[in-house]
Amino acid sequence: MKHMLSVALSLLLVMAMAVSASAGSVQDALEAASAMTNEELYEKAKEEMASGAVLNFYSTTSFAEKAAANFMAAYPELDGKVVYAEIDDGETYTKLTNQIGSGVKDSPDMALVQNGPDLKVNLLDDELSFNYFPAALKDVVPEAYQNPTVVTFINSLMIYNNKEGAVDVKNVWQLVEPEWQGKVFFKDPTNETVNLNFLIMLTSPEWTEKMTKAYEAYYGRAWESAEFASASYQWIDGFLKNVNYTFTSASKIATGIASGAAGNMGIFVFSKLRKVADEDRPNLSILQFENDVDCFSGFMYNVYATVCSDTDCPYTCALFINWLLSAEGFAGEKSWNSSQGYYSPNTTIEKPADLEDQSYPYWSDKLVFEDLNYIDGLGETYNEIYRFINVRVSK
Amino acid sequence: MSTLQPSLQREPLRYRVRAFLAKPANLILLFFLTALIVLSLMPMVTMLTNMFTVHAGTEKKMLRLKVGSWTMSHFQMLFADPEWSRANFWTPLLNSLIVAAGSGLLGILIGGTVAWFITRSDLKCKKFISAVFVFPYMMPAWTLALFWINMFQNSRVGGGVVGLVESLFGVCMPEWFVFGLFPMIVVIGLHYSPFAYLLIGGILKNMDATLEESATILKARRMTIIRRITVPIVMPAILSTFLLIFSSGFASYTVPVFLGSATRTFTLSTKMRALIQAGYEGQGYIMAFLSILLGTLILGINQHFTGKRKSFTTVTGKSGQVSLVKLKKANGFISALLIVLTLFFAIMPLVSFALESVIIQPGNYSLSNMTLNFWIGTEDSAFETGMPAGILVNGTMWWGLIRQVGLAVAVALVVGTCGMLIGYACVRRRGTWLSRAVENLAFFPYLMPAMAFGTIYLAVATSASFKWLYGSFFLLGLVAAVKFLPFASRSGVNSMMQIAPEIEEAATIFGVPWVTRMRRILFPIQKSAIISGYLLPVINVMREVALFTLLVPYPRYLLTTMLFSFNETGYAQYGSAVTLLIIVIIISINSLVNKLTGASFDKGIGG
Repeated sequence: MKHMLSVALSLLLVMAMAVSASAGSVQDALEAASAMTNEELYEKAKEEMASGAVLNFYSTTSFAEKAAANFMAAYPELDGKVVYAEIDDGETYTKLTNQIGSGVKDSPDMALVQNGPDLKVNLLDDELSFNYFPAALKDVVPEAYQNPTVVTFINSLMIYNNKEGAVDVKNVWQLVEPEWQGKVFFKDPTNETVNLNFLIMLTSPEWTEKMTKAYEAYYGRAWESAEFASASYQWIDGFLKNVNYTFTSASKIATGIASGAAGNMGIFVFSKLRKVADEDRPNLSILQFENDVDCFSGFMYNVYATVCSDTDCPYTCALFINWLLSAEGFAGEKSWNSSQGYYSPNTTIEKPADLEDQSYPYWSDKLVFEDLNYIDGLGETYNEIYRFINVRVSK
Repeated sequence: MSTLQPSLQREPLRYRVRAFLAKPANLILLFFLTALIVLSLMPMVTMLTNMFTVHAGTEKKMLRLKVGSWTMSHFQMLFADPEWSRANFWTPLLNSLIVAAGSGLLGILIGGTVAWFITRSDLKCKKFISAVFVFPYMMPAWTLALFWINMFQNSRVGGGVVGLVESLFGVCMPEWFVFGLFPMIVVIGLHYSPFAYLLIGGILKNMDATLEESATILKARRMTIIRRITVPIVMPAILSTFLLIFSSGFASYTVPVFLGSATRTFTLSTKMRALIQAGYEGQGYIMAFLSILLGTLILGINQHFTGKRKSFTTVTGKSGQVSLVKLKKANGFISALLIVLTLFFAIMPLVSFALESVIIQPGNYSLSNMTLNFWIGTEDSAFETGMPAGILVNGTMWWGLIRQVGLAVAVALVVGTCGMLIGYACVRRRGTWLSRAVENLAFFPYLMPAMAFGTIYLAVATSASFKWLYGSFFLLGLVAAVKFLPFASRSGVNSMMQIAPEIEEAATIFGVPWVTRMRRILFPIQKSAIISGYLLPVINVMREVALFTLLVPYPRYLLTTMLFSFNETGYAQYGSAVTLLIIVIIISINSLVNKLTGASFDKGIGG
């Protein structure tokens, strides 16, 4: 029995050493890859593929599938070797934390994920995944987006059905008024972390100040309340009371508002307008393009690239991330840049002029930006805010 | 004497063990006892520990404790905070109970009434009604939920999207009719009404008619006979059926997701998944555990009633004369009404899904608004809606289909075979503790709601020793095999009970090996019942979502989880197309097996 136990323990030790050695070699490989040219990486990627590797990657954004197809067209010897799987936001980290290191066939080599705070806490801090950023792009991508590496920004905007004219919202406090009861559509924040993060960001000191000022501007009096900790909490309470949850996804909100009742408004992913039937598209107006809304007219979140610690193709992952950050990858045919609502952190890439959209800098003072460090630093307070939101979302 | 005693004591035991192991039935029982303890009870232990430990994600972030640390915070949060507790536990629990009770009553009312008309009256078109009436049970319950939304959503409800009824007749139903508890009860009740029809119909068909005939001779009124004789006789069956529907309605996940999300009407299973998805896994496991406890309680009550029923139906012999109630002038009307209703809920969903899969603009059913792009669209046309291609030319869809069919076949082979072996062994060793233990353990997974059962295996597959299981095809096969074993084992026990042991004993005397006895004697005699034991898991797997939703590596891995993902994320047309495909596959499998073997759902009752 003792002998068996010692054999089992030795085996476990060997396995643990093998995993940590693998993780170490991936980290080293990514460090080396960051200084390589794309040609050098391509050579390395070919070697990885020749030894039987396949790049399996998860993504919360379906555009990544097209990006992968374009990538394989640009690097023909990798054709068929990059396999995409869409993953739901809510299950991203459960799946990744369990699949990385599991040895399950087709487990992911890298992932494009949203919700930075969870990426940090669940994967990066525990070295289940590693960051990769190419040195060659250090000057064209702001430092704040290099670690973790942001591959695209996505915005959710206030968009409404204009069949009976403009809704004329100029201040966010209008949305907590009784006339908006059941007419504002928003995806359940307890099911969609980026929506939750948007509400959490409103509780930050910076946004609390802005919300208080907007309150004063709208109501003409100073904010005070015995019930709520701040103006932001009061707004969240009033807003969630008015929200209509009929549509359970951003795509459904987009198509539902376009074909639904006049005057309905949603806060949903801008890029989902592509799902709206051509006949219905004129029914939708983007509020920000009509009014400069006091406080904000939506929110912006990040999609990050992260490389799993057990990948057997770190150089291919690095080459793919380079591709996503490049003009060819981000702004190629039918790629992210061809749609409204996707913005590259690479400052050399502009939105096409013929698109009803604006470049990233335009949105910088109009939207609530997700701040990984603020949310990650909340600790116990995170639970309080979540609780506050959860009980208001549930009936 | 004293020196001989120990060997005398040992030898009988050795012989007893040898004799015990020489019987294949004992070996089978021992094997399944071990396997079922590992596959049913051990995961429960894992789940119990997960109720007290910290998980990665939100819990780790919130509690600032290491993953795997012991904590009571999940219990504190779920039960000690009144506001949280009401929103996340008590209200969903109450909703689950309302849906379960309502759908149980409705299912009994519809299924029982139809069963009575089919077995006890001279209703016209019985064969047709009987065959079509079981359609909704073959379809996944959520297809009826989607059908309900497609039909009744309207410009005054939710977001104002126009459904088929408003589009055709201009009628707008109120919100409570379209979303919330009412449609959940109706949809689940309708889905399970064929189940009630099959169970109550079976009793009515085999029931002794002497009492009713005596009452008729004594000039009792028809309603009095039904109220005082028929209903009391079938009451145990009704109660048992009610509890089974109650249990299924309570565990239902997909129907409340589709019909409850709009109005924030959570049930225990939808809340369980929402909490797990939000990273509050510990609380999700607590809810799963409580669901299992309730399931156990319900099934315990059911077994109590089933026992009563047995004594009831065997009290008297069966009358050879069953006089059918003459419906007279009402016959035409009732027949027509039943035909219309069964067609509406059996055929209309197919028509609705076909329509929804080809329209571009929601609510516009004109020809100019139709396209086949969602089925056979090329890259360009499909791309605009966010998919690489229409579902029939889309590799992801085909892989999902291949995996689903592969899983269904693999699970059916394992479950059907295990069910039959368990049936054989339990019947041959009936009365022994081993037989009872295996029979009960094999039925144990039935007590667990599918979502809770998936949650248990999620807990196992995410534990350090079993991470290799997570997201694997093998895990899906394993969880489905254990979950669907109860039906197959019950079917196996029932079919083997009908075979007298003398037949096998005769072959044994002639030295026929066990495998040959099974292959040449037992299988052929009970061919139809055994094939039904294989058929049911195929259909169960082909329509299952809740069991797999937490365990698939990614949402588009299986056809059903892909469909669920389509409907959750707004690919409505693709969702409708895949739904139609699944229904057609299930009906085709059932028809094919029926043609080849004679086994089917409604066999034995219709007309």
